[in-house]
Amino acid sequence: MTVTIAAAKAVNAEKDKDPALIRWLIFVRDRGIFVLWAVLLIAFSIWASPYFASLDNGILIANAAALTAIFAAGIAVGIICGALDLSIPGTAALAGCVCGWLITHGTPTGLAIVVALVLGGFVGLINGLISLRGFNPIIVTIGTLSVMSGAAAGIAGGYTISGLDSLVFMGTDRFAGLPAPVWITAALFALLTVFLTRTRDGIRMMAVGGNAEAVRRSGIHADRYKVLGFVISGFCAALGGLVTTALVTEANPAANVSIIFNALTAVALAGVSLAGGRGSLPRVLVGALILGTISNALTIKGVSPYWATATTGLLLLGSLAVEKWVSTTVSRRLVQHEVKR
Amino acid sequence: MTATALELSNIDMHYGYVRALDGIDIAVRQGEVLGLLGDNGAGKSTLLKVMSGAHQPTSGEIRVHGTAATFGSPADATHAGIQMVYQDLALVDAQDIATNLNLGREILRRGPLGWLGFVDHKAQRRRSAAELEKLGVRTAAVTRPVEMLSGGQRQVVALARGATRVNGEQSGILLLDEPTAALGYEQTQQVQSLIRRLADQGVACVLVTHNLPLAMAVCDRIAVLNRGRKVADIPAAETENDHLVGWITGARASMFAPAPEAAA
Ligand SMILES: Nc1ncnc2c1ncn2[C@@H]1O[C@H](COP(=O)(O)OP(=O)(O)O)[C@@H](O)[C@H]1O
Ligand SMILES: [Mg+2]
Repeated sequence: MTVTIAAAKAVNAEKDKDPALIRWLIFVRDRGIFVLWAVLLIAFSIWASPYFASLDNGILIANAAALTAIFAAGIAVGIICGALDLSIPGTAALAGCVCGWLITHGTPTGLAIVVALVLGGFVGLINGLISLRGFNPIIVTIGTLSVMSGAAAGIAGGYTISGLDSLVFMGTDRFAGLPAPVWITAALFALLTVFLTRTRDGIRMMAVGGNAEAVRRSGIHADRYKVLGFVISGFCAALGGLVTTALVTEANPAANVSIIFNALTAVALAGVSLAGGRGSLPRVLVGALILGTISNALTIKGVSPYWATATTGLLLLGSLAVEKWVSTTVSRRLVQHEVKR
Repeated sequence: MTATALELSNIDMHYGYVRALDGIDIAVRQGEVLGLLGDNGAGKSTLLKVMSGAHQPTSGEIRVHGTAATFGSPADATHAGIQMVYQDLALVDAQDIATNLNLGREILRRGPLGWLGFVDHKAQRRRSAAELEKLGVRTAAVTRPVEMLSGGQRQVVALARGATRVNGEQSGILLLDEPTAALGYEQTQQVQSLIRRLADQGVACVLVTHNLPLAMAVCDRIAVLNRGRKVADIPAAETENDHLVGWITGARASMFAPAPEAAA
């Protein structure tokens, strides 16, 4: 596995396999969270039997996790691309209020939704363009967070916009037995996952988050991809805002900052490094599902919700420890190899 | 075989009042390895950055394959077939070897998926494995994330990234800034034979290094810079360690008399 000049006899590099330990470590790092979720599901099925392990409860968990997951997708794409987007609650509130205002003023529901989503992408575009000018994205997005919630309150006239019954198809309605938010979340994650791992632009976007200089030196306009990250993040925020609005059929202009913490917990649990450039959306989805699973099981057993928060925190610290362990083990193994030679 | 690939004439480069390069004339031919020696601050990196388009010279002329060129950015130089391997390797750690090697020249899938920008990972991996094999280096599986490579392997990947991009056209020019600075003895040997092999495939290489034995072993010709001036430019076979050290430290007189007739 160390660098070897191939002998005259050509070696088929495609058949090269990494040693078992390295492959196992990569597995733990990349798939560990799926195992963790499976373990939790099994443990809770026994502990909270018979109520936990039922199809209906599964749907309940998925539905509860859906909103967190949508916002987590926005946060994750931002971080993977190299910037923490804190304006998400503001964009969500604004999207909800704009959609609500348009509907109450006679715009067709479909058009109102499209406008709100485009607006979310536009907010991301602004965030991205400002950040490119060399300002710290965290400060920039805190600024836009305030601007957005102010604008949302202005549009709503300080009150919630209620009576948005035409939105129930993306809120409480069910299709093929599954609530609409579950479908929306599934579609969003499928799309973004394919984009990030299979398409040229997605792969470049992840590379920009990891090492923008490397991308630039490959002759690619790295800046475009940074802005694209903000645009996607803004779109997810708007989508989350619309689903929130649809669930209660009213648009609330107050930006709910706590969604950032839930989403960020799911993202961190999924091992998306704040340093950028790494992370996978399926893991983020499972991160959100784990949060939903824990609070669901504890609720069934009548345990106070504070314990759900505490358990989540412990899991988070545990996942950090595992990640640290994997990376130190790998580097120690590699050093050993160098020394042996 | 000896067409001139890259030629710089009378290059001046000022950083404010600092004169980093002073009337440099230098050329490298296809298939030739040109060593660039000099003390710290002699101007080696600056000269390489002028060649790679990262810096614009204050004055002077650059010719690529005989035609005058001005590089406004590294992208312009890349376009002209010049690749630079930087001291900091600039790899994307979280991505695997194949993705790093293919960044910026991705293979898209055929048909409608390709129109949507879908990448053909399999083809990319095949190409990377083949390219590494052609260079005669084996690192790890091309699906290994770069962050899970040792220092030597990372260096090889960075070199290969530059090399694969100039290797396609025979006219390629590869600039290397201290490629062995972080490597042990054996890995240095490997990088040395990689550079030699590239030159044999027709690539023009410019190699900045502090490692005199490496320079003597791998270079066809060696140029020495001293405080922004070229003080020696000589085939490696016609010089020896002591002379090079003398030129580097300034103890030995310049090959080019400082009098005006030197320009002729
Ligand atoms: N960006 C810069 N700004 C000002 N001076 C610089 C800069 N880069 C290099 N120099 C100066 O130019 C001279 C040549 O530097 P450099 O090309 O890095 O030398 P070398 O690579 O041979 O060690 C040195 O005196 C150095 O201090
Ligand atoms: Mg230098």
